[in-house]
Amino acid sequence: MMTDDLKKKIRDVVGAENALDADLDRFGYSYDASFVPLFPANKPELVVRPATTEEVSRIMAIAGEHGIPVTPRGAASGRTGGSIPLKGGISMSLERMTKILELDVNNMMVWTEAGVRTIDLYNACAAKGLFYPPDPASWKFSTIGGNVAENAGGMRAVKYGVTSNYVMGLEVVLADGTVLLTGGKAIKNVTGYNLTSLFTGSEGTLGIITKALLRLIPMPKKRGTLQLMFRTLDDGCTTVHQILQAGLLPAAAEIMDRFCLEAVAKHRKTDLDPAIGCCIIVEIDGEDDAALDTQARRMEEVAKRCGVYQFRVAQSQQESDELWAIRRGLSSAIASLVPNRLGEDISVPRDAFPEVVRRIGAIAEKHKLTIAVYGHAGDGNIHPSILCDLSKPGEEERVHRAVEDLFDATLAVGGTLSGEHGIGITKRPYIAKALGESGVKALAAVKQALDPKGILNPGKIW
Amino acid sequence: MRKEAKDKHLQAARKIVSQCDRCGTCLPVCPLFDANSVESSGARGKNVIARALTEGGIEPTPEALAKVNFCLLCRACVDTCPSKIATDEAMIHIRQYLVDRTGAVNTRYRAMGGILKSRGMVKLAAGSLALLRKLGLHSVFPHGMVPEEYTRAHFLAAFAGPAALAGKAPPSDAAVTAATRVAYFEGCGMRMMFPEAAAETLTLLKAQTKPLVKDNVCCGLPHLAHGLRDEFLALARKNIELYEDAEVVVSDCASCGGTLKHIASYFADDVQWKDRAATFSRKVMDLTEYLAKAGYRPRQKVDATFTYHDPCHLSRGQGIRKQPRDLLRAAGNFVEMKDADVCCGGAGSFHMDYPDIASKILDKKRANIEKTGAAIVVTGCPGCLIQLAKAAKAGGGRFKAMHISQVI
Repeated sequence: MMTDDLKKKIRDVVGAENALDADLDRFGYSYDASFVPLFPANKPELVVRPATTEEVSRIMAIAGEHGIPVTPRGAASGRTGGSIPLKGGISMSLERMTKILELDVNNMMVWTEAGVRTIDLYNACAAKGLFYPPDPASWKFSTIGGNVAENAGGMRAVKYGVTSNYVMGLEVVLADGTVLLTGGKAIKNVTGYNLTSLFTGSEGTLGIITKALLRLIPMPKKRGTLQLMFRTLDDGCTTVHQILQAGLLPAAAEIMDRFCLEAVAKHRKTDLDPAIGCCIIVEIDGEDDAALDTQARRMEEVAKRCGVYQFRVAQSQQESDELWAIRRGLSSAIASLVPNRLGEDISVPRDAFPEVVRRIGAIAEKHKLTIAVYGHAGDGNIHPSILCDLSKPGEEERVHRAVEDLFDATLAVGGTLSGEHGIGITKRPYIAKALGESGVKALAAVKQALDPKGILNPGKIW
Repeated sequence: MRKEAKDKHLQAARKIVSQCDRCGTCLPVCPLFDANSVESSGARGKNVIARALTEGGIEPTPEALAKVNFCLLCRACVDTCPSKIATDEAMIHIRQYLVDRTGAVNTRYRAMGGILKSRGMVKLAAGSLALLRKLGLHSVFPHGMVPEEYTRAHFLAAFAGPAALAGKAPPSDAAVTAATRVAYFEGCGMRMMFPEAAAETLTLLKAQTKPLVKDNVCCGLPHLAHGLRDEFLALARKNIELYEDAEVVVSDCASCGGTLKHIASYFADDVQWKDRAATFSRKVMDLTEYLAKAGYRPRQKVDATFTYHDPCHLSRGQGIRKQPRDLLRAAGNFVEMKDADVCCGGAGSFHMDYPDIASKILDKKRANIEKTGAAIVVTGCPGCLIQLAKAAKAGGGRFKAMHISQVI
């Protein structure tokens, strides 16, 4: 319980207008984009909106001294409850830290504050011919701080990797208010433990990430989009696998099953060819049009061998944008069709992708549930979405058994619980299964060392 | 679930907001979230509050009403939402529910609604505003209640000198059949705030046809938007009756036009009025929509540069973006501004209720207008025009704000 005196101390740091405690304001910081129920609401006692690292540090010193839980928050666009203040206390919302501090063209790196939106960073770099590749579906509204804390992935991971592949250094405020700098601009750096990697993906449980130093690469000169339609999901999976086996590397290869396509068709009020059971959208990039043509032709050859139903190259930027807009809006379009949607985020080795998709189909049949499948076919990260109505008697139980089966199947083929959404609250019950007892113990030991009072984002991961 | 869950407005809102999966796509496009970045100011925050009200998580209090009142109803979120959640409609339902439930209509809305309900009062107010302008007292009124009006005469004096000869617009080849009975809908905002622009609309119509001029009542949007739905419905019925003999009803106000086009949906369950309302809604056209259909060509081509501000209720509300731009291109030089369709912060009475945040939003609009170097920013809504006139004043005369009827 935060006393008025404590709240006043914090108001003195950030100003009264940036320390909100009206009931409805606190309610606004009690949820994220996960399926964690809205009620009972996990309201913070105080919403704090610092503008500088110094303010974050002073707030953490107060919180550390008094043992107040602190949950960092970016845009609350996470899918696993990472920014939900489960134990009340402070919601530390970093949305006012929106400065891109230094775009170092010579070293191809950028220092940015946590509250910068991913798309704004991308555009600022693109203006200098530089490319920041990680592009989670939420990139237009999610922030870099959240991307780093959750180690966000995205569509381009198959060729360019995920957020952690680009984080060179961090500024982190620790549980007692200490400001820590990790990493740096040196490309080779083995001085001490790799703390940068430790904090990346730590889901706000080890420190508050206030700034990030990110590596950039030259912007690909040309991009193209391909749309491949298949009769069956299996044909689609096989094709992606064969394309990769042929030594071709798409910048993105996104798969959608029949259900997803129906959701899109419904949304756009168009009809879907009944013969189509799967769609793959591929992004290719390269030096010039000739390079794109070659890639497209070779992919077409492979696809034809695998029985592609339709193969089409987007003819304009607009057509390309539309295809990607469909993919980015898919999650929400599916969600709007049913009362409840449990979106998972399993990730498997690339060669196990067709197999795990087959197993998902079998699980859906076994539990008499609809499971829509879409995801990043190129990198093995899939988002099976269980579509259900939890108000129906017995449905919740069946859904839970299906989720258990889903994780078992994933682990059995050498995969893991989460590719890019994090564990947060929603996958917490399953973590021991994935990491084993010793794995969880090691996480706890790290946590204990950095946050002995357990005030940072309590109740998450394990 | 709330006890009054059967309340039809609560149910209607629930149907809309329960589809929101809280992804956050709306955050960057919501002008209010952009201005203060507090969750409850954004579309997502308000939809979740609405959901909490429908599911019983939060109580129907005056504080909740204040939160849902803090919305421009600009539909920027609806446009970008992957699930097309109609936040504006949800807000209107929730406001109505909260007003019914708590009896807490803001007295200002009640008073304003009262004035707008009566045609006599609107005329009286229009007269007083004209008098205030004549006496030079308009600047003492806050929030642009009495905006400065830059008239067509001013415009022609400034821009239609010798330069106008540079490119004379070809004669109009409008094909209006004599049989089309066109009527003008004169909204309260146009009548009270911009009578000269309203007169120009009539001049434009007269060049095409013999317009029917009616003593219409308010379109009812101010009532609908603030929990005075019965008043809205009563006004709507009056207007439906009034225009029964017209085949086309032309509005030069984006908000009136948008509201009138949607009247049908509010009478969908009313056996007696359903068909009449649907017939009425189908007849409504925005001025530019009508002129484009009639093949109208501007009366002159001047050597002035225009930029255009899309009223929310015209662009997203009615899908009209091309017609006004085409007309402006034919009437002078046209240059597009950045974020032309982002709300100006006017939003009916929003700019009076929340002057600080409205002026923050307007400052961005002004910067975008100034960047174009245009001499005149044109729009098609008196609500926007009040804001843009303020921006013009704050800009120190770098540009003027005018209604489209005045420049074409």
